[in-house]
Amino acid sequence: MSSLLQLEQVRLAGSRRDRLFNLSLRIHRGERVALLGPSGAGKSSLISVINGSLTPHQGTVLWRGKSLRQRTRRQRCEIGTLWQDLRLIEELSVGQNINAGVLGRRGLPWALANLLFTIGAAPCLQCLRQAGLDPQVLAPEGLDRPVQQLSGGQRQRVALARLFRQQPSLLLADEPLASLDPAIAAEVLDRLLEKNADGSLIHGAQAVVVSLHRPDLIHRFDRVLALREGRLRIDAPATAVMPADLEDLYAL
Amino acid sequence: MALPRPSAPALALLPALALLPVLITVVAGLHAGGVEILLTCLAAAVHPSLDPALLTALFSALQVTLAMALAGWSLSLVLGVLLGCCASERLLQTWNWPTWPALILRRSLALPRSVHELIWGLLLLQVLGLHPAVAVAAITIPYAALVARVWRDQLEALDPTRLQALLQGGAPPLAACFTALSPAMGTVLMSYGGYRLECALRSATLLGVFGLGGLGTDLQLSLQSLQFRELWSGLWMLGLLSVALELLLTLWRRQTRKAQAGQRRLCLFLAGVIVAGMAGGLWLQVLLPDSGIVVWQGLALPDWRGLTQAAAELPWLPLIVETLLLTVLAAGIAIGLPPLAMLLAPSRFWQVALNPAWALLRLIPPPLTVLLLLLSNRPTLAIGALALGLHNGGVMGRLLREELEQQSVDQQQAMATSGASARLGWLYGLFTPRSPGYLAYGAYRTDVILRETVVVGLIGGSGLGWQLLESLSSFHWDAVVVLIGAYALITLLGEWLSDQCRTRWLQS
Repeated sequence: MSSLLQLEQVRLAGSRRDRLFNLSLRIHRGERVALLGPSGAGKSSLISVINGSLTPHQGTVLWRGKSLRQRTRRQRCEIGTLWQDLRLIEELSVGQNINAGVLGRRGLPWALANLLFTIGAAPCLQCLRQAGLDPQVLAPEGLDRPVQQLSGGQRQRVALARLFRQQPSLLLADEPLASLDPAIAAEVLDRLLEKNADGSLIHGAQAVVVSLHRPDLIHRFDRVLALREGRLRIDAPATAVMPADLEDLYAL
Repeated sequence: MALPRPSAPALALLPALALLPVLITVVAGLHAGGVEILLTCLAAAVHPSLDPALLTALFSALQVTLAMALAGWSLSLVLGVLLGCCASERLLQTWNWPTWPALILRRSLALPRSVHELIWGLLLLQVLGLHPAVAVAAITIPYAALVARVWRDQLEALDPTRLQALLQGGAPPLAACFTALSPAMGTVLMSYGGYRLECALRSATLLGVFGLGGLGTDLQLSLQSLQFRELWSGLWMLGLLSVALELLLTLWRRQTRKAQAGQRRLCLFLAGVIVAGMAGGLWLQVLLPDSGIVVWQGLALPDWRGLTQAAAELPWLPLIVETLLLTVLAAGIAIGLPPLAMLLAPSRFWQVALNPAWALLRLIPPPLTVLLLLLSNRPTLAIGALALGLHNGGVMGRLLREELEQQSVDQQQAMATSGASARLGWLYGLFTPRSPGYLAYGAYRTDVILRETVVVGLIGGSGLGWQLLESLSSFHWDAVVVLIGAYALITLLGEWLSDQCRTRWLQS
């Protein structure tokens, strides 16, 4: 399998201790990776390093064989993130928020027009459906409905739709199931991990990395990466991870 | 095609389109040699006069302006707080008193509030003669009414349950009010009071431009005699004072935030306000020992027939249309320019570089800009709009900078990681979350601009302001009274409209 992303000896310093320490790993095409670890293990830091919002103090991060820092703006669109706090723009409508996913591929006139109209309704609706939200529930305003009027689960879907609209090659999700009820959580996970018959991911990304706080869901993934105190403790196929490994990880 | 449904950031950017007709008119109206005069004036900014005699005179004039500002500010704050308390239904209910006096007082305060301090200054000048107390009173009257309105609104907006709990527990009304309301109202007083001091300094300078003494008078004389280097010496001096004042207020606010004993800070602030007022008054006596006592010069009250005749003679439609057009264009520039400039130059370097530009625009009184532009241009409404728009753009630019500094960069970061350019990251991630608040303040600013049209109208030859000056100059008191009434009415309508917009945008 060819690797999309490669981390070599990555170290990210923190105020008291290293947030990531000598971390080396590869993410391959077609993989669905679960990122586990107790609170403060470095999961969010790792996701931030991968998407480029944090720069490691040591080591290299390669995206398709090239340094992550040398990516062009268009190449930055290739990594999409579903943030833990969603980072939706509360003051904009559902459609405008979804369209914000493609700002990396558009110019200023398009961005300004999107603030006047909700442009590109069809792709927005498609992404919304793909994220599991029936546009009917947004009636009567539809895509013009302000995001701040939505429930927690609906907001999660809009953030997911924005991510799908971005069409990234690598999809990162930071604790996407936190604060969701089990039924919605299962459906969100389905949307992130479902594959087509040919084995490709249904949303079009080439790989998915999802940080989780629920080890019981790892059977849905191909591979498990587990962190503790900024160090990689487990890197194994999901089927090879034993309950004892998880107990050790969480120090149960 | 779908109808446009502009979102808050678009609504904040679109007004910048007002720059187009204004700049086209101003550029088309430039006369031969006009550009040269403007360039000479701009070049003098980096080469101000350092003549010791001039600097001494300017420093003396600056002290007069500062003393006027301090006295007017202190009086308006004390009066405004007292009037605001009297206009609050909640406070009257605490004593089980009827609330109708509060309502009457609130409605009565609308008139002094709606008339610009410059008009108060010119009116008082007619009845009291040239005296430093005229400028102090001109600042005090509208400012006290403004403070009273804000104070009363804040009192009414506070959570009433804390006060009710204390009253139900048997606390005396006055003690209950102080305990339940003063912590929150103290913060309002210190924050809003500080802002009003900056406004008072600007107003004192402006009144000087119209002959009421202080630095404004010197600046106006320097400009009219084309002594640009002298003009810039005065402006830089005023700039230094403004920066010092701003630093002092910022330091105070930071200390207030840190302080555990907020009530002690509040007492200290109140004592400072009273001392500043007394010091301002005494300072004026020392600086202008020959000013004597205020003497009422007398004023014949206009009769009804005179008023109706004056009203019938005035060309209302063009006057009102010009005033409203001036407001719309100036507000468009003031609201749209800061986000447009920041959007075009979103780098950290340019954002920092813009700060002195906002400070300079705030500093220069609009009438001076109009006078400067008139050296190179014929009098048009566009000149007034540009001067007023740039001055208020400086205020809005500073506000936007402060707003953006408080905004979390999370969304901007999220945009950047998804490949958005720095410009689009700024627009969507940083500006958009702050745009409803910015627009709400823009609505308030439009209200202020409507009041300020009188200032440029007086010089720029347009709108009600120009007509007012004409009537004042010819001692046509009937027309003056009618015009002030019309101005007050339009201002109150504008205030109501801006309140509606503000409420809507803050709720959005």
